[in-house]
Amino acid sequence: MKVVTGVVGNDIHVVANRLIDLSLQARGFEVFNLGVNTYLEEFFDAAVETGAEVLLISSLNGEAEGWGREVKLLKARYKNLDELIMMIGGNLTVGSGNAEDIVPKYKGYGFDLVCHQVDLNTGLDQLEEFIAQRKTQ
Amino acid sequence: MSNNEKLLIDVGSTYFKVSTPGKIEQHFRDFNKDILDDLMSKCDNSISRFNKEDVFICSSANGGLSTLIIGITNSFSLKYATNIAFNAGINIIDTILYQDIQDASIPSDLIDVVIIVGGINSLGNIFSEELYNYLSKIQYSNIVFAGSEKDAALIQNNIEHLITLPNIIDSKLHIVEDHLREYLTNLYQKDIEGKRDIKNLYSITANQIYPTPYIVNKTLPLINARFSVANPFILLDIGGATTDIHYSKDLVDENIVTENQYDRMVFKKLGVYKSKQSLIFTAKNNEFVYELLMHLKVTENIFLEQSEKATKILMQLAIFLVLCKMSHYRQAYINLKLLAINSIVLTGGITKVLLKEDVEDIVSFFYRKILTSDHNPTTIMDTNYDIWTLAAEDN
Ligand code: B12
Repeated sequence: MKVVTGVVGNDIHVVANRLIDLSLQARGFEVFNLGVNTYLEEFFDAAVETGAEVLLISSLNGEAEGWGREVKLLKARYKNLDELIMMIGGNLTVGSGNAEDIVPKYKGYGFDLVCHQVDLNTGLDQLEEFIAQRKTQ
Repeated sequence: MSNNEKLLIDVGSTYFKVSTPGKIEQHFRDFNKDILDDLMSKCDNSISRFNKEDVFICSSANGGLSTLIIGITNSFSLKYATNIAFNAGINIIDTILYQDIQDASIPSDLIDVVIIVGGINSLGNIFSEELYNYLSKIQYSNIVFAGSEKDAALIQNNIEHLITLPNIIDSKLHIVEDHLREYLTNLYQKDIEGKRDIKNLYSITANQIYPTPYIVNKTLPLINARFSVANPFILLDIGGATTDIHYSKDLVDENIVTENQYDRMVFKKLGVYKSKQSLIFTAKNNEFVYELLMHLKVTENIFLEQSEKATKILMQLAIFLVLCKMSHYRQAYINLKLLAINSIVLTGGITKVLLKEDVEDIVSFFYRKILTSDHNPTTIMDTNYDIWTLAAEDN
């Protein structure tokens, strides 16, 4: 299964991104890593060019919120992305925040899976469950 | 052979340059005349002294090829193909995002080459009926497909005279330049040779006539032979019809990863003669331009003037506007890390009109106003057209 990943916006925290790339590969995904400093449009464009089923966005420096609000508007301009599984994780707010507030907010932005300060492996387990569930639907 | 024995000629859209040992002449073109006649009437003395073997000509006249690129995203297929086309020396590029093709306008002119791109090789069924419908409505001389391998056979069956090349996108979503670039360079070459004006020039040279941007791009790795340029740098060639920017790859943190050290980008309508009106239009729409005019101690009435001073101001504006266009996200198809630049090299007619101080003034104004920074790259003026002679000599 194809996954597009990267770190959104002006964020340059690269360590998690490398780990995500490796972990996804270890789990058998075909990874298209756009690296740090990736803009929303590039994520969607990469999904179009590759035919990826999953988009996994990271954000570490606190700017996720601003990008989150743009997601629906931008995605609506694409004709073939309705089935794309959308996941986001990292530090999804400025400061610590709590997941009870943050998760519903990002779901409202159009993300299927939201992992605020969730350990990577836990998050990827959730992704695999989600995919399995979707297949049985 | 030593440089001194060569005659170098560069034919541009607005003027031509003739470089003989020790001297460079520059003349405005007379568009009522064939290029060769024009050249001979102005520089016969210089030209007839040389053997055909010692005459080297490059040309950016006649606009070159017109290209229409159909791709499936702005960030990858369209951007990659545009980049390749620029590097092959092509200036006139239009793009269509495939998902909007039904609403795309139909160009009335004959297009020299249509390029279809999109998708990694494992992706199929990207293009369909809508593509063929659109193609049936436009006129073109050449058509090439450099997209997903999976779609190649189907497309080949549906489009007559289609050339299929290896995908410009690899399995990691990176760019693969070589095949399309070679195809376009050859086409460009054939086109130049086919133009009657240019053909006539072969009566004074025994050497191949190359497109000017191709020549300049080839020189950049050699640039340190003539100038002390600190890397990374950009080179601005502000001409009569277009403005060309050549830049080192370190200046883009893009998903474009190529073998080439340098890339090129063209602003079609930013020239100081042929496209003067559109330059003025762009200027009037830039919120900082009035402040800049004030800084230069002139008013916008200067746009109506026909004087040396007015040309000078226009050239300064062109520098400012080009820098602006490259600095904001998504305005140009590529954005450069302007704060990382250590040198700005200027070449072309502009170096005959502006002083180094005039350029430096604009550059620091730009950094202060637009990037709110005191960064100040060194300015280098290629007053003797060394960049161009360097490459021509290297041939
Ligand atoms: C190293 C570091 C830097 C380095 C980055 C070097 C580099 N190129 O990577 C430098 C010094 C450059 C830097 C700069 C900044 N940083 Co910093 N930085 C850190 C630091 C100390 C470690 C980050 C790291 O690499 N961790 C190791 C990796 C493996 O862990 P991780 O990034 O947390 O990722 C894990 C999880 O988040 C998760 N994960 C990540 N993405 C995803 C996605 C999914 C789907 C899932 C499931 C999981 C997941 O998986 C990873 C492994 O478990 C953190 C603090 C910290 N201890 O976390 C701050 C931190 C991330 N930085 C922070 C800030 C604010 C900045 C700056 C704005 C500081 C400034 N004022 O200049 C700048 C921003 C620069 C920019 N444009 O992005 C804040 C962000 C706060 C926020 N979100 O509110 C942090 C949290 C520090 C803090 N407590 O204030 N930083």
